[in-house]
Parts: sequence; structure tokens; C-alpha cells
Amino acid sequence: MIIYFTDIALSLMLILTAMVIAVQRNLLGAVMLSGIYSLLCASLFVCLDAVDVAFTEAAVGGGVATILFLGTLAQTDYEKKSRVGISWSGLFLVIICGSLLVYGLSDIPGFGLADNPVQTYLADVYLVQSQKDIAVPNLVTAVLASYRGYDTLGETTVIFTAGIAVLILLGRGKADSDTVESKES
Amino acid sequence: MNDPVYLIACCLLILGAVFVLIGLLGVFRMPDFFTRLHAASIIDSMGTLLIMLGLMLMSGINLITVKLFLILLFILITTPTAAHALAKSALHGKLKPKLGDDKS
Amino acid sequence: MVEFTILLILLSMLLALISAAIGETVYDKILAVNIFGTITVLFIAVYGFVTGRPDFLDIALVYALISFVTTIAVLKFFEYGDMGKSSTDREQDIDI
Repeated sequence: MIIYFTDIALSLMLILTAMVIAVQRNLLGAVMLSGIYSLLCASLFVCLDAVDVAFTEAAVGGGVATILFLGTLAQTDYEKKSRVGISWSGLFLVIICGSLLVYGLSDIPGFGLADNPVQTYLADVYLVQSQKDIAVPNLVTAVLASYRGYDTLGETTVIFTAGIAVLILLGRGKADSDTVESKES
Repeated sequence: MNDPVYLIACCLLILGAVFVLIGLLGVFRMPDFFTRLHAASIIDSMGTLLIMLGLMLMSGINLITVKLFLILLFILITTPTAAHALAKSALHGKLKPKLGDDKS
Repeated sequence: MVEFTILLILLSMLLALISAAIGETVYDKILAVNIFGTITVLFIAVYGFVTGRPDFLDIALVYALISFVTTIAVLKFFEYGDMGKSSTDREQDIDI
């Protein structure tokens, strides 16, 4: 009961955040709100048991994307030109895309059901075949490092990049920070 | 369910959540940015401390307690640093605190 | 009772969202995002106990660090980056 309520509340807050971002005129505020959007998204992913996706969302959406947006805004103007009226063609396109997405939802199987396509055939194959294919004793290792090897490589690249970013942020060179200080003063 | 430790843990959890709400109320009610920052620090100190203590009591002594303790430690170290950086940056950015004698 | 705590935390999430939406200066918005990060950490920690599987606490731990790094990075940008001074001046001009 409370779990369903949490899912619904988080989704509603997600929609609310998106609407607030859409009406923001100040782009800096929109960037900050998009950070909140990523955090909400990540919470929702945690609720849906997709912890690795949640982790990536928080690192990339909340961390890296915010900084990239700010870097872009430093190069340009960050006050949106106020425009009166609604762009009717844009509204039309958005409505078409939205109804297509809603229509596509009807094909999605129910959440977490035992007879979903994803659970019916692949797990057995992994259980039976992995010893013959790879001969790694641990099944999880076999799946992660061999069957989904490229996926894991991509994930470790993301984590590695995040580590480098943290080192760059925290370990500024002494001479570099001095020049910045003198420019500031 | 009627375990006294569980009851104490529940009280701590709800008290912590109430402190989070109080901090947010302060963010809404305070007149300028620096006082809002001050109100927000209640969330990071009291709210986090009480909720994490409640969860620690609820979990008993195991690996989860260690993780909760680490979260608490990190938050107690990082959020005052972030608040300090925020205040310093706001002061650099010509955002003056509202003083007692200017009644604007 | 843990469920009640989750409800209160969801309510505070909503309030933090509103304070980010109506924040006057850009620093208010950064503060709101910072608060939101802390509340998200609390939410994930408590939610594990609601579902009875408190195994995702590592994620909460990592979130605490990410939120800290983001705030520090954004603030370093504001203080030393190109838009350090001009941003707040223009910001105040707009808001007053």
C-alpha cells in the first residue's frame, strides 16, 4: 500500500518538476531544477529495484549533466527570450508523440510478473549453459563479465570517469588555483 | 512489535522527519538567504542524526548499522562544508545579509 | 510507523521542490537542491526498511557523496568561473 503510494507520489512530483522546468524563464533555475528531477528519477528507480540505473542517473544526471549545463550557460546568455503565445505546431507534435507513447504502453507486460518474457527463457539458458560456455563457477560473474561484457565495460568506464572528475575537482593544482585567485581579486 | 527498542526507534524516526519539516518551514519563512541557510542546516544535523539513529536501533548490530553510521558520518562532515561554501559563494556574489537595523 | 516517516519525507520532498521553484536568487535554488539531496539520501535509507530489505544503503552512501561533490563543483564554478560576479548581479536586477 505505502509502496504504491510512494511510487505514485514520486511520479507526480516528477511531473510537477517537469512542468516547473518548462515554465522557468531563468535557465540557471531550470538547470538546478533538472538536478532535482534527476534525484527524483533516481529515487523512483530505487523504488523499482533498478539500483544500478539509479546510481548512474544520480551520477550522470545529477552530477555531470548539471556541471555541463552550467559550463554551457557560462558561454551564452542564460535568460530566455520571453515569447508571447503558444507555438501551435510544437504543441501538435508533443501531443502526437505523447499519444504514441501512451499507445505503446499497452504492449508493456505487467510490472514484475513471473510470466513476463524477460523471465521465461533467458534465466534457464544462463543456468544451464554458462558452465559449458564459460566455466566460471560463479553464475553472476559469468553473466556480468562475459554475457554482458560490453555493458559492464561501459559501466566501469562511467565509474572511472566519475573518479577522475572527483580527482580533478578536489585536487586542483596549486599554481592553477593561485592564478584563479589573482584573477578573482 | 511492542519491543521498547522498536518504539524508541519509531519515535526517533518520526521526530527526525518532523525536524526535516521544521527546517523546510524555516526555509520558507526566513527573510533572507543566510537565515534560510541557517534553517536548512537543521535538516542536515538534527533530521539526519535522529533518522539515522532510529534506523540503527531498528536494524540491530550488523553490517547495516556500520553503513548507516558511515552515511551519518559523511553527511555530518559534508553538509556543513557545503553550507559554508554556499555562504561564502553568496557573500562573494554580493549577496549581503539583512541586518537588524534595516527594516526593509 | 516507518511508513509514516516515509510519508513525512515525501511531504518534505514536495516542500523542497516548491522552495526550489519559488527561490528568489540562484543561491536559494542551489540550497534547495542541496536540501533535496539530503532528503533523497534519507528517503532511500528509510525506504529500504519499509520494504524490509535494507540492502541498498550503499546507494544512499554514494548519493551523499555525489550531492556534496555537485554542490562544491557548482559553487566553485560560481565563485571562480566566468559568471561568478555577473550572474548574481544580473540575478538581483531581474528579481528586484
